[in-house]
Amino acid sequence: MNKITIAAALLALTAGWAASAAAADIEAGRKLGDTQCAACHGKDGKSPIDPSYPKIAGQYQDYMIKVLGDYQSGARKNPIMGGIAKPLSKADIENVAAYFSTLPGPLTHNK
Amino acid sequence: MAAGLCAVVPMALAQQAGNPDAAKAYISMCTGCHTIPGYQASFPRVYRVPKIGGQSAKYIEAALTAYKKGERNHPTMKVIAEGLNDQQIADIAAYYSSRGSEPAAVASK
Repeated sequence: MNKITIAAALLALTAGWAASAAAADIEAGRKLGDTQCAACHGKDGKSPIDPSYPKIAGQYQDYMIKVLGDYQSGARKNPIMGGIAKPLSKADIENVAAYFSTLPGPLTHNK
Repeated sequence: MAAGLCAVVPMALAQQAGNPDAAKAYISMCTGCHTIPGYQASFPRVYRVPKIGGQSAKYIEAALTAYKKGERNHPTMKVIAEGLNDQQIADIAAYYSSRGSEPAAVASK
């Protein structure tokens, strides 16, 4: 009985961690990224079509969530990104930011 | 005379070339936040400060210029960018664009 209780508790704990780590739907983020982001930032997120556009592959998810939110609210102004960010839901933003954060890219913390 | 002036003006307007070596004199103002893995901005919102090593030079220039002009708002970045001239911005952009690690995957979380 005790063992079962402990096992159940551990399972619940592990599931909770897994859920928070994988709260975002990477696959949904990929679909959104391929249709909404790839044309300018590159399908791989690191081949922007214009050098003034950022590489986003491997960038932090929470930073990209912040950026998309700023475009959505108008705090950060860009005609293209404003138009793209406006219709996105909170989940869309979390998913697409999670997806690009998982892609390999050149971005580093190097001094 | 007029032809000579015309020839000079386009050069003066040309984008300044960044000198990555010159940037070493002032990147200390970047390293405290941008070179610490997972370092979090605590104000005005909590999120990890972006990785900038390996970012496109033109994008870094655009970002710093936007902070300087007030088109992008972040209290710390605004103060830093306001203290930079165009040449220094170009230097920093050249420096960090050369600090990437392609194709090595970088921890994204």
